[in-house]
Amino acid sequence: MASHSSTRTPVKKGDVLLEARGLSKGFPGVWEHLILDKLDFDVRAGEVHTLLGENGAGKTVIANILSGYYEKTEGEILVRGVPVHLRSPREGLAHGIAMVHQELMLVPAFTVAENVMVGLDAPAFSYDISRVEQKLEELVERYGLQVDPRVRVEELSAGQQQRVEILKVLYHEPEVLLLDEPTSLLTPHEADQLFVVLRAMADEGKGIVFVSHKMREVFAVSDRVTVLKLGKMQGTCHISDTNEEELTRRTFGETVPEYMERPAVQSEALALETCALVPAGLRKNPDAKGISIKVRCGEILGLAGVSGNGQTELIEALTGMVSPDRGEVWILDQNLTGQPPRVFIDRGVAHIPERRKEIGIVEQMYVAENVALKDYRKQPFSKATVLNRQAISDHAAQIVKRFNALVPDLWETECRILSGGNVQRLILGRETWRKPPVIIASHPTEGLDARAIRHTWELFLELRALGSGILLVSEDLDEIMSLSDRIAVIFDGEIVGTVDGKGANRENLGNWMAGGINRAA
Amino acid sequence: MELAHLWGILFISLHAMVPITLAAIGESIEESAGLFNIGLEGILLLSALTGALGAQASGSAVMGLVTGMATGAIVGLLFGFISTTLRGSQLISGVGINLFALGFVALMLTVMGAPGFHSVAREVQVALIPLGVGNLSPLVLVTVVLAIVAWWLLRRTQLGIWIRAVGENPAAADVAGIRVNAIRLGAAIAAGVFAGLAGAYLSIDWFGAVTKEITAGRGFIALAIVVFSGLNPLLALLGGFIFGFFDGLATWVATYPGIKEIIPWQFVAMAPYVVTLAVVAGAIGRVRFPSALGVPYVRE
Repeated sequence: MASHSSTRTPVKKGDVLLEARGLSKGFPGVWEHLILDKLDFDVRAGEVHTLLGENGAGKTVIANILSGYYEKTEGEILVRGVPVHLRSPREGLAHGIAMVHQELMLVPAFTVAENVMVGLDAPAFSYDISRVEQKLEELVERYGLQVDPRVRVEELSAGQQQRVEILKVLYHEPEVLLLDEPTSLLTPHEADQLFVVLRAMADEGKGIVFVSHKMREVFAVSDRVTVLKLGKMQGTCHISDTNEEELTRRTFGETVPEYMERPAVQSEALALETCALVPAGLRKNPDAKGISIKVRCGEILGLAGVSGNGQTELIEALTGMVSPDRGEVWILDQNLTGQPPRVFIDRGVAHIPERRKEIGIVEQMYVAENVALKDYRKQPFSKATVLNRQAISDHAAQIVKRFNALVPDLWETECRILSGGNVQRLILGRETWRKPPVIIASHPTEGLDARAIRHTWELFLELRALGSGILLVSEDLDEIMSLSDRIAVIFDGEIVGTVDGKGANRENLGNWMAGGINRAA
Repeated sequence: MELAHLWGILFISLHAMVPITLAAIGESIEESAGLFNIGLEGILLLSALTGALGAQASGSAVMGLVTGMATGAIVGLLFGFISTTLRGSQLISGVGINLFALGFVALMLTVMGAPGFHSVAREVQVALIPLGVGNLSPLVLVTVVLAIVAWWLLRRTQLGIWIRAVGENPAAADVAGIRVNAIRLGAAIAAGVFAGLAGAYLSIDWFGAVTKEITAGRGFIALAIVVFSGLNPLLALLGGFIFGFFDGLATWVATYPGIKEIIPWQFVAMAPYVVTLAVVAGAIGRVRFPSALGVPYVRE
């Protein structure tokens, strides 16, 4: 496979390496629109071409089709002007097209070199690990992607694992490199390092397709940018011919407010408080002083941080899913430390989880059942342990309508076939309809379109006005900065800084997220 | 104790090691690829019967072994098909194999006119190698070689990398161009062949007969050894020998004058099973298994 690239004729800067014409993709039944609708797209030697769009716009699908992972429904793919039919990622590689997936596609128990060997097209009984290691060392040298080929992947940080993903595809010496949201696990600083590498690869004559929904990154790295919205092209342009405001408008249909205005927090009552909380499952740090946060009634506290710094474990402790190692959890002035989830639910703690398909719903159950999942034991949804199907149907229908979820049938549609965005609509409805005093929301708008995001934000502000205390956990700084009354930053299981939401400085937050110790009050 | 007794215990241990180890090696390969076949016991039992029938029909011990392996391959293929293409529950299909084998073998033995017992003529049994101090089955050597080959295959070949990648992260293997279900199906068939050889060995080599209890839980002990060995065929060989030793010891204690009168043989016969329990209890939690073990793979 690697030999293919060396036999290809050399490219000149500006040659079209990969082109899609009239590319369409549909998934039957489930989706409200074609995932991709007659898309034209190309990437040239020596450029970074960014695909920009919000979640659900179809960016990942394009990348997956261009790399041979998904089949296209219609349209044409040309490699250097020659039509090709890619049936598998391996065929994509054979044509010099490699993709770095958004989720890490690594085997944690393998070393870096063994992970590369998974993708080799070598004879079954060969074992060329020393050559692989040697070539990897050369690549590490050439692109400054510091990582030891002999180390097990599970011992590496998320940022280093991301480098392994890139090394893995660079090993095949691709001409076109597709990267699907490669910065989602990286700190802002690590992302900047990645951009230097991407630029170096482009300067070598490779074509880079960079998929992102973060405006900052688009301007940091791209030569050209193509905006996608709900599977449709919104146009391609040179980065120098546009500006952030215009791109934002084209991407999201409207500009995202920097900060959503609201009256000051009135109440001094605490909805949620933790005292020196050390959640279970954190990497052991004997010096950890634990997490102490307070959320007042009628306040939104944003918790910013790169994922994997203890957010998941904190939320598990705050919802009763896992008892903390140390410290206390207080809900509305009651100590609920170590109580089971049902107690938290009954005291009015709503939970909008990050892993929505795993713990937000039961995938094999129907829509109506999932909507009633936290209320079925109460009247009118059941009486003396017998479910009242009519009451559940009415209730579910209301929530589906209010949150614009696209659901074929309440009692025949299993939740597993719904898109992530629709599942999230159902969860938002289920968790907020009672106007709970405490809301713990993790990435609440991920996978929603711009209109639904705005509705969700407005809903949160509405609940806030009614006195809910909301803990908003998100990696998306825009969302945190728009919604939060105060922002706390979590790093390595500790709060490293807290600031007022209004007028918060993005750079400061980024530094804190990267572990820059500047423990402001 | 005389030297001859030591040789005797060693030979019994080696012969008892063979079926457990063979089945464990195959299962190690299969579990590396992410499939968990609890039906080993059933495959052993079925192939013990078919191996004996094959040997008698053809008049050749080798053909008997081949028949046993073919039986294992077919059951492995069926199990693999259910677990991959049909995305069925591996636990249920494994239990199904065991139940089917129990009923089928008992029925066949009855139909053949010897309820519960069917002896295999000496001419079609596997010929032993005379070593002066005792006779050794060639399958002991085969087992040792196969353990080394299987270790080499899993740890030192490109194919081994693919197999283990499929078991650890099938999505990663898929995007790397590996046909996940094809690898799993192949591993299931391989495991069936190994278990089939082990079953045929029981009837046409070690015991020279088929009974409906011939396997005596050896398939389950093999599963325990896989746990103990952490999917390493060389450790499976060691584990197989340890259990074989206790098996051998039990036989020796039960027959040795002066001891057999003191220790009731029933207690000694428990030894291999008690050791199994102890070892597995010690190994669980320490040994690491493939992340995707037992989980069917679905793209998208």
